[in-house]
Amino acid sequence: MKKYWTVTKNSWQLQLQYRLNLVLWRLRSITILLVFYFLWLNLIKENSVFAGFSQSQIFTYFLLINLLRPIVFDGQQRRMAQEINDGSFSRYLIMPINHFLYEFSRQLSNKVINLFFAIVEVVIFILVLKPPLTIPSDPQIWLFFFLSLFLATILYYFLSYLFNLTAFWSREAMGPRFLFDWILEFSAGAYFPLSILMRSFFVFLSFLPFFYLIYFPITIYLSKTELIGIQQGIIMQLVFTIIIGFFVRWAYKKSLKKYTGEGI
Amino acid sequence: MKKYLIIWKTLTGLATSSYLTNRVDSISYFMGKLIRLSFFLLMIIVIFNKTSDLVGYGKYEVIFFFSTFNLMDVLAQAFFRGIYFFGNDIKNGNFDFILTKPINALFYSLSRLTDILDFIFLAPIIGLLIYSISKINISFTFINYASYFTMIVFGLLIIMALHIITAAINIIAIESEAAIWLYRDSMTIGRFPPEIFPGLIQIIFTVAMPIIIIVSFPAKAFLGILSLRAALFAILYSVLFFALSLLIWKKSLKHYSSASS
Repeated sequence: MKKYWTVTKNSWQLQLQYRLNLVLWRLRSITILLVFYFLWLNLIKENSVFAGFSQSQIFTYFLLINLLRPIVFDGQQRRMAQEINDGSFSRYLIMPINHFLYEFSRQLSNKVINLFFAIVEVVIFILVLKPPLTIPSDPQIWLFFFLSLFLATILYYFLSYLFNLTAFWSREAMGPRFLFDWILEFSAGAYFPLSILMRSFFVFLSFLPFFYLIYFPITIYLSKTELIGIQQGIIMQLVFTIIIGFFVRWAYKKSLKKYTGEGI
Repeated sequence: MKKYLIIWKTLTGLATSSYLTNRVDSISYFMGKLIRLSFFLLMIIVIFNKTSDLVGYGKYEVIFFFSTFNLMDVLAQAFFRGIYFFGNDIKNGNFDFILTKPINALFYSLSRLTDILDFIFLAPIIGLLIYSISKINISFTFINYASYFTMIVFGLLIIMALHIITAAINIIAIESEAAIWLYRDSMTIGRFPPEIFPGLIQIIFTVAMPIIIIVSFPAKAFLGILSLRAALFAILYSVLFFALSLLIWKKSLKHYSSASS
């Protein structure tokens, strides 16, 4: 495990080398946070409910998106597809490493740095704007929330890794990746709560793994899901993780045989 | 001027060939843009299924603001996509090759890649604009259209200035690709009417990062709710902002270190 820890530390140092870039990157998420905060502030007046969400629930939802994004999504996910397409992936084949773990170790530093900044942003946001927030008092809710968040992080990593493997089969992997990312983020509820959508569309989305990445953990936190629903959701997360994990293993072996090292 | 038009046409021709060669990528990018547009539109429609107005604007007026935001965003990407490669040129020292070309380095850096997909993407956006205009219960005159186009032209001038400033930041700070993405995400402010924000934020995004002038002013001019004073301010501001960006660009060139070349 020591070598993977070294990868995380190196990646950490590399990112802190370009500090202006990092700060500008974080400013982006503040802008998005502001837009959605004020949009929903105008839609939900104090003591009223909009689409099943009270003011404190909706503000908590958007602040949690800001915190969950770095944990679940961030980590320069597209880099692997780029490396396969430009041939620089070859260097990993001669390293005494498991690429699946190596890639995760590399992304871990990115997640930690972005999470740190996200926490600072959210704290400042709360101190300045003083939005009403929902904080669960039941320790069981916290436990289920962190469990579902952990599973969401693993599930997203599996999904992302699987999709990056398409780069072995096509030189044109970045366009499909762009399409995949947008579908995934919207279907995950990373822009608005999915339950505001039409009932049929919402039910359809609940059958997709993306549903369990952001929307599901947040609804646990907001106590908007019954205990039975939480248990079913966590089972769904586990099932998706196992199935996609199996596919990743199978597809990686198949894909390596297609690799030509083009562009080295 | 004729020389630059020929160069732009040639670069656009090359970009078209590239997009046609990488068909899977091109179709996927286009689909991704379409899905992004559809989801945000869906969000607005769903919101208006549960409320009748947003800060005094009706559903189609909000869709009109949203369409104008998309129009400006897409026009900027169509014409100035080249700037997204500028950071790499600076990092690798490839900017040397641009500087030695018998062409204005800024023009080449901004327009080296014309995004054909965004030109195609103008079709659904213009369709959405026309649809929202047809649904707004106001009879629009020539004045509305003329003021809309005037504000768009000056909005584009500010967008160009912002692209120039991000290029200058790239030269000075070397690794700062996030600057252009900061501009892109700040444009999000323009997705909805500016009145959703409190006064201070409106001032910041009018003066410091003039997204409201770029997106909201054209939409308001069309709806006939932009005062003459605000329109004149926008025109003067955009000219001065553009001049300032050129000044920053010239200053930044003195910092170019030709690293890695």
